[in-house]
Amino acid sequence: MEIFVAQLLNGLSLGSMYVLLVLGFNLMLLVAKIIQFAYPHLVVLSMYVCWAVLRYTDNMLLVVLASVASCIVINIAIEPIFRLLAKRHGLDINVSFVVSMSMALLITDVMSHLLNYGYPIAFPSDWVGKSIFSSGLIAFSAGQAYALFGGIAAVVAFFYLLYRTRQGRVLRAISENSLLSSIIGIPIVKTRVLSYGVAGLLGGLTAVMLARLLGSASPGLGDFVGMKVVAASILAGLGNLKGGLVCGLLLGVAESMAIGYLAGSWSNAIAFMMMLIIMLIKPEGLFGIRA
Amino acid sequence: MSSVLYYFLAFTGINILMCWSIYLPYRVGQLHYLTVACMLASAYFSGFAAREWSWPFALILAAGILIGVLISLLPSFAIGDAPCFTVVIVGLTIIFIFKTAVENSAALGGTIGFFGIPEVQHLLPLTYLLLAAAGAFIYRIDHSRLGRAASVVFVDKNTAAALGVDVKQLGMFFQIAAGGIAGLAGTLYAFLIGSLFPEFFNLGVIGTLMCMLFTGGHSTMWGVVVSVPILEGMQLLLPSAIASWRQVIYALTLIVIILLLPGGLITKRTLVRFKGRSRA
Repeated sequence: MEIFVAQLLNGLSLGSMYVLLVLGFNLMLLVAKIIQFAYPHLVVLSMYVCWAVLRYTDNMLLVVLASVASCIVINIAIEPIFRLLAKRHGLDINVSFVVSMSMALLITDVMSHLLNYGYPIAFPSDWVGKSIFSSGLIAFSAGQAYALFGGIAAVVAFFYLLYRTRQGRVLRAISENSLLSSIIGIPIVKTRVLSYGVAGLLGGLTAVMLARLLGSASPGLGDFVGMKVVAASILAGLGNLKGGLVCGLLLGVAESMAIGYLAGSWSNAIAFMMMLIIMLIKPEGLFGIRA
Repeated sequence: MSSVLYYFLAFTGINILMCWSIYLPYRVGQLHYLTVACMLASAYFSGFAAREWSWPFALILAAGILIGVLISLLPSFAIGDAPCFTVVIVGLTIIFIFKTAVENSAALGGTIGFFGIPEVQHLLPLTYLLLAAAGAFIYRIDHSRLGRAASVVFVDKNTAAALGVDVKQLGMFFQIAAGGIAGLAGTLYAFLIGSLFPEFFNLGVIGTLMCMLFTGGHSTMWGVVVSVPILEGMQLLLPSAIASWRQVIYALTLIVIILLLPGGLITKRTLVRFKGRSRA
Protein backbone atom coordinates (compact mmCIF):
# COMPACT_ATOMS: atom_id res chain seq x y z
CA MET A 1 0.00 0.00 0.00
CA GLU A 2 2.89 2.35 0.82
CA ILE A 3 4.38 1.78 -2.66
CA PHE A 4 1.00 2.57 -4.18
CA VAL A 5 0.63 5.87 -2.29
CA ALA A 6 4.24 6.87 -3.01
CA GLN A 7 3.83 6.15 -6.71
CA LEU A 8 0.46 7.91 -6.79
CA LEU A 9 2.09 11.08 -5.44
CA ASN A 10 4.91 10.70 -7.99
CA GLY A 11 2.38 10.10 -10.73
CA LEU A 12 0.26 13.14 -9.87
CA SER A 13 3.37 15.38 -9.84
CA LEU A 14 4.59 14.01 -13.16
CA GLY A 15 1.06 13.98 -14.59
CA SER A 16 0.58 17.67 -13.80
CA MET A 17 3.66 18.38 -15.95
CA TYR A 18 2.21 16.34 -18.81
CA VAL A 19 -1.08 18.23 -18.41
CA LEU A 20 0.68 21.59 -18.83
CA LEU A 21 2.54 20.36 -21.91
CA VAL A 22 -0.61 18.85 -23.43
CA LEU A 23 -2.49 22.14 -22.82
CA GLY A 24 0.23 24.20 -24.53
CA PHE A 25 0.43 21.72 -27.40
CA ASN A 26 -3.37 21.66 -27.87
CA LEU A 27 -3.68 25.45 -27.66
CA MET A 28 -1.34 25.85 -30.65
CA LEU A 29 -3.20 23.08 -32.46
CA LEU A 30 -6.59 24.72 -31.91
CA VAL A 31 -5.64 28.33 -32.57
CA ALA A 32 -2.65 28.18 -34.92
CA LYS A 33 -3.70 24.85 -36.52
CA ILE A 34 -0.24 23.32 -36.19
CA ILE A 35 1.13 20.14 -34.66
CA GLN A 36 4.06 21.56 -32.69
CA PHE A 37 6.04 18.35 -32.06
CA ALA A 38 9.07 20.44 -31.07
CA TYR A 39 7.22 22.05 -28.15
CA PRO A 40 8.53 19.60 -25.49
CA HIS A 41 12.02 20.02 -26.99
CA LEU A 42 11.73 23.77 -26.42
CA VAL A 43 10.79 23.03 -22.81
CA VAL A 44 13.94 20.91 -22.43
CA LEU A 45 15.95 23.75 -23.99
CA SER A 46 14.45 26.05 -21.35
CA MET A 47 15.59 23.57 -18.69
CA TYR A 48 19.11 24.08 -20.05
CA VAL A 49 18.57 27.84 -19.74
CA CYS A 50 17.55 27.29 -16.08
CA TRP A 51 20.71 25.28 -15.55
CA ALA A 52 22.90 27.93 -17.17
CA VAL A 53 21.36 30.74 -15.08
CA LEU A 54 21.69 28.64 -11.92
CA ARG A 55 25.45 28.52 -12.45
CA TYR A 56 25.62 32.28 -11.87
CA THR A 57 22.82 32.93 -9.40
CA ASP A 58 20.45 31.01 -7.16
CA ASN A 59 17.81 33.72 -7.37
CA MET A 60 14.60 31.76 -8.05
CA LEU A 61 12.82 34.69 -9.68
CA LEU A 62 15.64 35.25 -12.17
CA VAL A 63 15.71 31.56 -13.06
CA VAL A 64 11.95 31.46 -13.65
CA LEU A 65 12.06 34.67 -15.69
CA ALA A 66 14.94 33.38 -17.84
CA SER A 67 13.19 30.07 -18.46
CA VAL A 68 9.83 31.65 -19.30
CA ALA A 69 11.39 34.38 -21.46
CA SER A 70 13.50 31.91 -23.45
CA CYS A 71 10.55 29.59 -24.10
CA ILE A 72 8.24 32.46 -25.12
CA VAL A 73 10.85 34.12 -27.36
CA ILE A 74 11.86 30.93 -29.20
CA ASN A 75 8.25 29.77 -29.57
CA ILE A 76 7.19 33.12 -31.01
CA ALA A 77 10.33 33.28 -33.18
CA ILE A 78 9.33 30.11 -35.03
CA GLU A 79 5.77 31.35 -35.66
CA PRO A 80 6.63 33.07 -39.00
CA ILE A 81 7.88 29.71 -40.34
CA PHE A 82 4.50 28.11 -39.70
CA ARG A 83 2.72 31.19 -41.10
CA LEU A 84 4.73 30.90 -44.32
CA LEU A 85 3.99 27.19 -44.35
CA ALA A 86 0.25 27.87 -44.05
CA LYS A 87 0.49 30.30 -46.98
CA ARG A 88 2.18 27.72 -49.19
CA HIS A 89 0.41 24.54 -48.12
CA GLY A 90 -2.83 25.81 -46.58
CA LEU A 91 -3.51 24.72 -43.02
CA ASP A 92 -2.13 21.19 -43.53
CA ILE A 93 -1.35 19.85 -40.05
CA ASN A 94 0.59 16.90 -41.47
CA VAL A 95 3.08 19.22 -43.16
CA SER A 96 3.31 21.28 -39.98
CA PHE A 97 4.15 18.06 -38.16
CA VAL A 98 6.98 17.21 -40.56
CA VAL A 99 8.45 20.71 -40.16
CA SER A 100 8.09 20.69 -36.38
CA MET A 101 9.71 17.27 -36.25
CA SER A 102 12.68 18.71 -38.14
CA MET A 103 12.80 21.52 -35.61
CA ALA A 104 12.80 18.94 -32.82
CA LEU A 105 15.77 17.15 -34.42
CA LEU A 106 17.51 20.48 -34.87
CA ILE A 107 17.05 21.48 -31.22
CA THR A 108 18.13 18.04 -29.96
CA ASP A 109 21.24 18.00 -32.13
CA VAL A 110 22.21 21.56 -31.23
CA MET A 111 21.81 20.70 -27.54
CA SER A 112 23.92 17.56 -27.89
CA HIS A 113 26.68 19.43 -29.76
CA LEU A 114 26.85 22.75 -27.95
CA LEU A 115 25.45 22.47 -24.44
CA ASN A 116 27.55 20.82 -21.73
CA TYR A 117 29.43 18.89 -24.46
CA GLY A 118 26.29 16.79 -24.99
CA TYR A 119 26.43 15.33 -21.48
CA PRO A 120 23.30 15.30 -19.33
CA ILE A 121 22.98 18.22 -16.92
CA ALA A 122 22.31 17.90 -13.19
CA PHE A 123 20.61 20.58 -11.12
CA PRO A 124 21.98 21.43 -7.67
CA SER A 125 20.55 19.20 -4.91
CA ASP A 126 19.20 22.20 -2.96
CA TRP A 127 17.33 23.25 -6.13
CA VAL A 128 15.57 19.89 -6.26
CA GLY A 129 14.85 20.22 -2.53
CA LYS A 130 14.71 17.93 0.45
CA SER A 131 11.85 15.72 1.50
CA ILE A 132 9.10 17.79 3.13
CA PHE A 133 7.09 14.77 4.24
CA SER A 134 8.25 11.23 4.85
CA SER A 135 6.58 8.14 6.29
CA GLY A 136 7.98 4.69 5.52
CA LEU A 137 8.31 4.37 1.75
CA ILE A 138 6.18 7.45 1.16
CA ALA A 139 8.24 10.60 0.61
CA PHE A 140 7.10 13.91 -0.79
CA SER A 141 9.93 16.15 -1.93
CA ALA A 142 9.93 19.89 -2.44
CA GLY A 143 10.38 19.27 -6.19
CA GLN A 144 7.23 17.15 -6.26
CA ALA A 145 5.33 19.81 -4.30
CA TYR A 146 6.42 22.52 -6.75
CA ALA A 147 5.40 20.35 -9.70
CA LEU A 148 2.03 19.34 -8.26
CA PHE A 149 0.85 22.63 -6.77
CA GLY A 150 2.59 24.79 -9.38
CA GLY A 151 0.99 22.63 -12.06
CA ILE A 152 -2.48 23.00 -10.51
CA ALA A 153 -2.05 26.78 -10.22
CA ALA A 154 -0.88 27.05 -13.85
CA VAL A 155 -3.81 24.95 -15.11
CA VAL A 156 -6.32 27.04 -13.13
CA ALA A 157 -4.75 30.24 -14.50
CA PHE A 158 -4.82 28.83 -18.04
CA PHE A 159 -8.51 27.93 -17.89
CA TYR A 160 -9.29 31.29 -16.25
CA LEU A 161 -7.55 33.02 -19.15
CA LEU A 162 -9.40 30.89 -21.66
CA TYR A 163 -12.93 31.06 -20.21
CA ARG A 164 -13.04 34.24 -18.13
CA THR A 165 -11.12 36.86 -20.13
CA ARG A 166 -11.65 38.74 -23.38
CA GLN A 167 -8.41 37.37 -24.84
CA GLY A 168 -9.59 33.85 -23.97
CA ARG A 169 -12.85 34.41 -25.87
CA VAL A 170 -10.84 35.59 -28.86
CA LEU A 171 -8.63 32.48 -28.71
CA ARG A 172 -11.69 30.23 -28.48
CA ALA A 173 -13.44 32.06 -31.33
CA ILE A 174 -10.48 31.46 -33.68
CA SER A 175 -10.27 27.84 -32.66
CA GLU A 176 -13.96 27.40 -33.56
CA ASN A 177 -13.94 29.30 -36.87
CA SER A 178 -11.04 31.46 -38.00
CA LEU A 179 -12.80 32.77 -41.13
CA LEU A 180 -15.83 34.01 -39.20
CA SER A 181 -13.53 35.41 -36.53
CA SER A 182 -11.65 37.48 -39.11
CA ILE A 183 -14.95 38.74 -40.55
CA ILE A 184 -16.05 40.08 -37.15
CA GLY A 185 -12.72 41.89 -36.81
CA ILE A 186 -10.57 39.59 -34.69
CA PRO A 187 -6.89 40.02 -35.66
CA ILE A 188 -6.01 36.46 -36.67
CA VAL A 189 -2.22 36.72 -36.92
CA LYS A 190 -1.92 38.68 -33.67
CA THR A 191 -4.10 36.17 -31.82
CA ARG A 192 -2.15 33.23 -33.24
CA VAL A 193 1.07 34.85 -32.03
CA LEU A 194 -0.63 35.25 -28.65
CA SER A 195 -1.33 31.49 -28.57
CA TYR A 196 2.39 30.84 -29.20
CA GLY A 197 3.17 33.24 -26.37
CA VAL A 198 0.75 31.58 -23.93
CA ALA A 199 2.10 28.13 -24.88
CA GLY A 200 5.64 29.48 -24.39
CA LEU A 201 4.66 30.81 -20.96
CA LEU A 202 3.26 27.41 -19.97
CA GLY A 203 6.38 25.72 -21.39
CA GLY A 204 8.76 27.99 -19.49
CA LEU A 205 6.96 27.35 -16.20
CA THR A 206 6.90 23.62 -16.94
CA ALA A 207 10.65 23.70 -17.57
CA VAL A 208 11.32 25.15 -14.10
CA MET A 209 8.99 22.67 -12.42
CA LEU A 210 10.37 19.71 -14.41
CA ALA A 211 13.90 20.76 -13.44
CA ARG A 212 12.89 20.72 -9.78
CA LEU A 213 11.01 17.44 -10.16
CA LEU A 214 13.58 15.44 -12.17
CA GLY A 215 16.79 17.13 -11.05
CA SER A 216 18.46 16.44 -14.40
CA ALA A 217 17.97 16.74 -18.15
CA SER A 218 19.57 15.49 -21.35
CA PRO A 219 19.21 16.33 -25.06
CA GLY A 220 17.22 13.11 -25.60
CA LEU A 221 14.63 14.04 -22.96
CA GLY A 222 12.72 16.14 -25.51
CA ASP A 223 12.08 13.14 -27.79
CA PHE A 224 10.93 11.07 -24.87
CA VAL A 225 8.60 13.68 -23.37
CA GLY A 226 7.48 14.74 -26.84
CA MET A 227 6.23 11.27 -27.73
CA LYS A 228 4.31 11.03 -24.45
CA VAL A 229 2.75 14.47 -24.78
CA VAL A 230 1.65 13.82 -28.34
CA ALA A 231 0.38 10.36 -27.42
CA ALA A 232 -1.57 11.80 -24.44
CA SER A 233 -3.08 14.41 -26.77
CA ILE A 234 -4.16 11.69 -29.19
CA LEU A 235 -5.53 9.56 -26.35
CA ALA A 236 -7.58 12.53 -25.19
CA GLY A 237 -8.62 13.43 -28.72
CA LEU A 238 -6.52 15.98 -30.60
CA GLY A 239 -7.36 19.51 -29.47
CA ASN A 240 -9.56 18.38 -26.59
CA LEU A 241 -8.34 20.53 -23.67
CA LYS A 242 -10.44 18.93 -20.93
CA GLY A 243 -9.62 15.44 -22.22
CA GLY A 244 -5.94 16.43 -22.20
CA LEU A 245 -6.27 17.31 -18.53
CA VAL A 246 -7.55 13.83 -17.68
CA CYS A 247 -5.19 11.90 -19.99
CA GLY A 248 -2.09 13.85 -18.91
CA LEU A 249 -2.76 12.99 -15.28
CA LEU A 250 -3.64 9.37 -16.13
CA LEU A 251 -0.42 9.00 -18.13
CA GLY A 252 1.67 10.32 -15.25
CA VAL A 253 0.02 7.99 -12.74
CA ALA A 254 0.21 4.96 -15.08
CA GLU A 255 3.88 5.61 -15.77
CA SER A 256 4.71 5.98 -12.08
CA MET A 257 2.82 2.80 -11.20
CA ALA A 258 4.75 0.94 -13.92
CA ILE A 259 8.03 2.30 -12.53
CA GLY A 260 7.00 1.25 -9.01
CA TYR A 261 5.96 -2.26 -9.85
CA LEU A 262 8.06 -3.21 -12.91
CA ALA A 263 11.77 -3.57 -13.51
CA GLY A 264 14.07 -1.04 -15.21
CA SER A 265 13.36 0.38 -18.63
CA TRP A 266 10.38 -1.96 -19.15
CA SER A 267 8.23 0.45 -17.16
CA ASN A 268 8.24 3.03 -19.96
CA ALA A 269 7.55 0.35 -22.54
CA ILE A 270 4.50 -0.73 -20.53
CA ALA A 271 3.25 2.87 -20.41
CA PHE A 272 3.68 3.08 -24.19
CA MET A 273 2.03 -0.30 -24.65
CA MET A 274 -1.05 0.90 -22.76
CA MET A 275 -1.23 4.03 -24.89
CA LEU A 276 -0.79 1.96 -28.02
CA ILE A 277 -3.66 -0.37 -27.15
CA ILE A 278 -6.03 2.54 -26.49
CA MET A 279 -4.90 4.28 -29.71
CA LEU A 280 -5.51 1.11 -31.72
CA ILE A 281 -8.96 0.60 -30.20
CA LYS A 282 -10.02 4.28 -30.34
CA PRO A 283 -7.85 6.12 -32.92
CA GLU A 284 -10.02 9.27 -32.54
CA GLY A 285 -9.23 9.46 -28.79
CA LEU A 286 -11.20 8.82 -25.60
CA PHE A 287 -12.90 12.21 -25.53
CA GLY A 288 -13.23 12.97 -29.24
CA ILE A 289 -11.18 15.09 -31.66
CA ARG A 290 -11.79 18.86 -31.42
CA ALA A 291 -9.15 20.10 -33.86
CA MET B 1 36.35 -1.63 -53.57
CA SER B 2 37.23 0.96 -50.92
CA SER B 3 35.30 0.81 -47.67
CA VAL B 4 34.04 4.39 -48.18
CA LEU B 5 32.50 3.45 -51.54
CA TYR B 6 31.14 0.19 -50.09
CA TYR B 7 29.34 1.99 -47.25
CA PHE B 8 28.13 4.73 -49.59
CA LEU B 9 26.57 2.16 -51.93
CA ALA B 10 25.22 0.04 -49.06
CA PHE B 11 23.57 2.95 -47.23
CA THR B 12 22.27 4.42 -50.49
CA GLY B 13 20.54 1.16 -51.37
CA ILE B 14 19.08 0.64 -47.90
CA ASN B 15 17.94 4.26 -47.58
CA ILE B 16 16.21 4.16 -50.97
CA LEU B 17 14.32 1.04 -49.84
CA MET B 18 13.38 2.65 -46.53
CA CYS B 19 12.31 5.88 -48.24
CA TRP B 20 10.10 3.85 -50.56
CA SER B 21 8.60 2.11 -47.53
CA ILE B 22 7.55 5.53 -46.21
CA TYR B 23 6.61 6.81 -49.68
CA LEU B 24 4.06 4.02 -50.29
CA PRO B 25 1.73 4.70 -47.31
CA TYR B 26 2.23 8.45 -47.87
CA ARG B 27 0.44 7.89 -51.19
CA VAL B 28 -2.72 7.61 -49.04
CA GLY B 29 -1.60 10.47 -46.76
CA GLN B 30 -0.15 8.41 -43.92
CA LEU B 31 3.32 8.86 -42.40
CA HIS B 32 3.91 5.22 -41.51
CA TYR B 33 6.98 5.25 -39.26
CA LEU B 34 6.16 1.71 -38.20
CA THR B 35 8.37 0.65 -41.12
CA VAL B 36 11.41 1.59 -38.99
CA ALA B 37 10.17 -0.90 -36.36
CA CYS B 38 9.78 -3.51 -39.15
CA MET B 39 13.35 -2.80 -40.22
CA LEU B 40 14.59 -3.17 -36.64
CA ALA B 41 12.77 -6.47 -36.08
CA SER B 42 13.87 -7.96 -39.42
CA ALA B 43 17.46 -6.83 -38.94
CA TYR B 44 17.76 -8.41 -35.50
CA PHE B 45 15.94 -11.56 -36.55
CA SER B 46 18.17 -11.93 -39.60
CA GLY B 47 21.33 -11.39 -37.60
CA PHE B 48 20.25 -13.86 -34.96
CA ALA B 49 19.10 -16.52 -37.46
CA ALA B 50 22.38 -16.27 -39.39
CA ARG B 51 24.69 -16.31 -36.39
CA GLU B 52 22.90 -18.68 -34.00
CA TRP B 53 20.89 -20.99 -36.27
CA SER B 54 23.08 -20.77 -39.42
CA TRP B 55 20.04 -20.40 -41.67
CA PRO B 56 20.77 -19.91 -45.40
CA PHE B 57 20.59 -16.33 -46.66
CA ALA B 58 17.63 -16.94 -49.00
CA LEU B 59 15.51 -18.32 -46.17
CA ILE B 60 16.47 -15.43 -43.88
CA LEU B 61 15.58 -12.94 -46.60
CA ALA B 62 12.13 -14.48 -47.02
CA ALA B 63 11.62 -14.59 -43.25
CA GLY B 64 12.76 -10.95 -42.91
CA ILE B 65 10.19 -9.79 -45.47
CA LEU B 66 7.51 -11.91 -43.79
CA ILE B 67 8.30 -10.38 -40.38
CA GLY B 68 7.93 -6.90 -41.84
CA VAL B 69 4.61 -7.86 -43.39
CA LEU B 70 3.28 -9.40 -40.17
CA ILE B 71 4.33 -6.46 -37.99
CA SER B 72 2.54 -4.08 -40.35
CA LEU B 73 -0.48 -6.33 -40.77
CA LEU B 74 -1.64 -6.45 -37.14
CA PRO B 75 -1.85 -2.69 -36.43
CA SER B 76 -3.18 -2.02 -39.94
CA PHE B 77 -6.54 -3.53 -38.95
CA ALA B 78 -6.90 -0.57 -36.57
CA ILE B 79 -5.00 2.20 -38.37
CA GLY B 80 -5.66 1.36 -42.01
CA ASP B 81 -7.77 4.51 -42.36
CA ALA B 82 -6.72 6.32 -39.17
CA PRO B 83 -5.73 10.00 -39.26
CA CYS B 84 -2.12 10.53 -40.30
CA PHE B 85 -1.13 11.71 -36.89
CA THR B 86 -2.42 8.62 -35.09
CA VAL B 87 -0.44 6.47 -37.56
CA VAL B 88 2.67 8.51 -36.74
CA ILE B 89 2.34 7.99 -33.00
CA VAL B 90 1.48 4.29 -33.31
CA GLY B 91 4.68 3.90 -35.36
CA LEU B 92 6.84 5.82 -32.91
CA THR B 93 5.37 3.91 -29.96
CA ILE B 94 6.04 0.52 -31.53
CA ILE B 95 9.62 1.55 -32.40
CA PHE B 96 10.14 2.49 -28.76
CA ILE B 97 8.66 -0.80 -27.49
CA PHE B 98 10.82 -2.87 -29.89
CA LYS B 99 13.91 -0.89 -28.93
CA THR B 100 13.22 -1.48 -25.24
CA ALA B 101 12.77 -5.20 -25.91
CA VAL B 102 16.13 -5.36 -27.73
CA GLU B 103 17.92 -3.29 -25.06
CA ASN B 104 16.67 -5.69 -22.38
CA SER B 105 17.53 -8.85 -24.30
CA ALA B 106 20.95 -10.35 -23.57
CA ALA B 107 20.61 -12.72 -26.54
CA LEU B 108 20.36 -9.71 -28.89
CA GLY B 109 23.31 -7.93 -27.31
CA GLY B 110 21.29 -5.45 -25.25
CA THR B 111 22.50 -1.86 -25.42
CA ILE B 112 26.05 -2.96 -26.34
CA GLY B 113 25.06 -4.17 -29.79
CA PHE B 114 24.80 -7.38 -31.81
CA PHE B 115 27.98 -8.45 -33.62
CA GLY B 116 29.38 -11.30 -35.68
CA ILE B 117 26.78 -11.53 -38.43
CA PRO B 118 28.37 -13.75 -41.13
CA GLU B 119 29.28 -12.25 -44.51
CA VAL B 120 27.33 -13.10 -47.66
CA GLN B 121 29.14 -13.30 -51.02
CA HIS B 122 28.22 -10.71 -53.69
CA LEU B 123 25.74 -9.02 -51.39
CA LEU B 124 26.09 -5.52 -52.82
CA PRO B 125 25.10 -6.48 -56.40
CA LEU B 126 22.31 -8.63 -54.95
CA THR B 127 21.11 -5.64 -52.90
CA TYR B 128 20.78 -3.53 -56.04
CA LEU B 129 19.02 -6.39 -57.83
CA LEU B 130 16.49 -6.58 -54.99
CA LEU B 131 16.24 -2.78 -55.02
CA ALA B 132 15.32 -2.93 -58.71
CA ALA B 133 12.72 -5.62 -57.99
CA ALA B 134 11.19 -3.51 -55.19
CA GLY B 135 11.22 -0.49 -57.53
CA ALA B 136 9.42 -2.48 -60.24
CA PHE B 137 6.80 -3.57 -57.67
CA ILE B 138 6.19 0.02 -56.56
CA TYR B 139 6.12 1.24 -60.18
CA ARG B 140 3.42 -1.35 -60.95
CA ILE B 141 1.35 -0.24 -57.94
CA ASP B 142 1.76 3.43 -58.85
CA HIS B 143 0.52 2.80 -62.40
CA SER B 144 -2.36 0.56 -61.45
CA ARG B 145 -5.92 1.24 -60.27
CA LEU B 146 -4.59 1.10 -56.71
CA GLY B 147 -2.16 3.93 -57.43
CA ARG B 148 -4.89 6.09 -58.96
CA ALA B 149 -7.20 5.34 -56.02
CA ALA B 150 -4.38 6.30 -53.62
CA SER B 151 -3.97 9.63 -55.40
CA VAL B 152 -7.65 10.40 -54.80
CA VAL B 153 -7.43 9.33 -51.13
CA PHE B 154 -4.41 11.64 -50.69
CA VAL B 155 -6.44 14.61 -51.91
CA ASP B 156 -9.75 13.79 -50.20
CA LYS B 157 -10.78 10.64 -48.36
CA ASN B 158 -14.49 11.43 -48.61
CA THR B 159 -14.35 11.88 -52.38
CA ALA B 160 -12.45 8.63 -52.69
CA ALA B 161 -15.06 6.82 -50.60
CA ALA B 162 -17.84 8.36 -52.72
CA LEU B 163 -16.08 7.06 -55.85
CA GLY B 164 -16.19 3.55 -54.39
CA VAL B 165 -12.66 3.29 -52.98
CA ASP B 166 -12.40 1.19 -49.82
CA VAL B 167 -10.12 3.64 -47.99
CA LYS B 168 -9.35 1.28 -45.11
CA GLN B 169 -8.42 -1.71 -47.29
CA LEU B 170 -6.30 0.49 -49.52
CA GLY B 171 -4.51 1.95 -46.50
CA MET B 172 -3.95 -1.55 -45.11
CA PHE B 173 -2.51 -2.74 -48.44
CA PHE B 174 -0.04 0.13 -48.64
CA GLN B 175 0.98 -0.29 -44.99
CA ILE B 176 1.57 -4.02 -45.40
CA ALA B 177 3.50 -3.59 -48.65
CA ALA B 178 5.62 -0.94 -46.94
CA GLY B 179 6.26 -3.32 -44.05
CA GLY B 180 7.51 -5.98 -46.48
CA ILE B 181 9.92 -3.54 -48.14
CA ALA B 182 11.17 -2.36 -44.74
CA GLY B 183 11.65 -6.02 -43.73
CA LEU B 184 13.78 -6.52 -46.85
CA ALA B 185 15.78 -3.38 -46.00
CA GLY B 186 16.29 -4.64 -42.43
CA THR B 187 17.67 -7.99 -43.55
CA LEU B 188 20.01 -6.40 -46.09
CA TYR B 189 21.13 -3.84 -43.49
CA ALA B 190 22.06 -6.58 -41.01
CA PHE B 191 24.25 -8.42 -43.56
CA LEU B 192 25.73 -5.35 -45.26
CA ILE B 193 26.80 -3.63 -42.04
CA GLY B 194 27.50 -6.77 -40.00
CA SER B 195 26.55 -5.30 -36.62
CA LEU B 196 23.38 -3.87 -35.06
CA PHE B 197 22.82 -1.24 -32.39
CA PRO B 198 19.39 -0.39 -30.94
CA GLU B 199 20.41 3.29 -30.72
CA PHE B 200 20.49 3.44 -34.54
CA PHE B 201 16.70 3.09 -34.73
CA ASN B 202 15.67 6.45 -33.29
CA LEU B 203 13.97 9.69 -34.30
CA GLY B 204 17.18 10.72 -36.10
CA VAL B 205 16.74 7.90 -38.62
CA ILE B 206 13.16 8.96 -39.26
CA GLY B 207 14.30 12.56 -39.71
CA THR B 208 16.94 11.45 -42.21
CA LEU B 209 14.42 9.40 -44.20
CA MET B 210 11.87 12.23 -44.17
CA CYS B 211 14.53 14.64 -45.40
CA MET B 212 15.46 12.28 -48.24
CA LEU B 213 11.81 11.68 -49.20
CA PHE B 214 10.68 15.32 -49.12
CA THR B 215 13.87 16.64 -50.75
CA GLY B 216 13.57 14.18 -53.62
CA GLY B 217 9.83 14.64 -53.95
CA HIS B 218 7.06 12.75 -52.18
CA SER B 219 4.70 12.57 -55.13
CA THR B 220 6.77 10.12 -57.19
CA MET B 221 8.96 7.12 -56.41
CA TRP B 222 11.87 8.57 -58.44
CA GLY B 223 12.52 11.48 -56.12
CA VAL B 224 14.43 9.44 -53.55
CA VAL B 225 16.53 7.83 -56.30
CA VAL B 226 17.96 11.30 -56.88
CA SER B 227 18.00 12.69 -53.32
CA VAL B 228 19.45 9.72 -51.43
CA PRO B 229 22.79 9.52 -53.32
CA ILE B 230 23.12 13.32 -53.14
CA LEU B 231 22.50 13.48 -49.39
CA GLU B 232 24.59 10.38 -48.65
CA GLY B 233 27.41 11.66 -50.90
CA MET B 234 27.26 15.13 -49.33
CA GLN B 235 27.96 13.54 -45.97
CA LEU B 236 31.09 11.85 -47.35
CA LEU B 237 32.35 14.95 -49.13
CA LEU B 238 31.94 17.33 -46.21
CA PRO B 239 34.82 17.73 -43.73
CA SER B 240 34.30 15.52 -40.66
CA ALA B 241 33.80 18.54 -38.36
CA ILE B 242 30.81 19.62 -40.46
CA ALA B 243 29.61 16.08 -41.21
CA SER B 244 29.02 15.51 -37.48
CA TRP B 245 26.27 18.14 -37.76
CA ARG B 246 24.48 15.84 -40.20
CA GLN B 247 21.13 15.92 -38.38
CA VAL B 248 21.15 19.71 -38.26
CA ILE B 249 21.95 19.87 -41.99
CA TYR B 250 19.18 17.38 -42.79
CA ALA B 251 16.66 19.17 -40.57
CA LEU B 252 17.45 22.57 -42.10
CA THR B 253 17.34 21.11 -45.62
CA LEU B 254 13.92 19.59 -44.92
CA ILE B 255 12.50 22.85 -43.54
CA VAL B 256 13.88 24.91 -46.46
CA ILE B 257 12.68 22.40 -49.08
CA ILE B 258 9.15 22.25 -47.62
CA LEU B 259 8.96 26.04 -47.49
CA LEU B 260 10.49 26.85 -50.86
CA LEU B 261 10.02 23.72 -52.97
CA PRO B 262 6.95 21.98 -51.50
CA GLY B 263 6.90 19.18 -54.10
CA GLY B 264 10.62 18.40 -53.78
CA LEU B 265 13.20 18.14 -56.58
CA ILE B 266 11.25 15.64 -58.71
CA THR B 267 7.51 16.10 -59.03
CA LYS B 268 4.96 14.45 -61.31
CA ARG B 269 5.14 17.54 -63.54
CA THR B 270 8.94 17.13 -63.84
CA LEU B 271 8.44 13.53 -64.99
CA VAL B 272 5.82 14.54 -67.58
CA ARG B 273 8.20 17.21 -68.95
CA PHE B 274 11.07 14.71 -69.02
CA LYS B 275 8.95 12.13 -70.89
CA GLY B 276 7.84 14.80 -73.37
CA ARG B 277 11.44 15.75 -74.13
CA SER B 278 12.62 12.18 -74.60
CA ARG B 279 9.72 11.52 -77.01
CA ALA B 280 10.61 14.66 -79.03
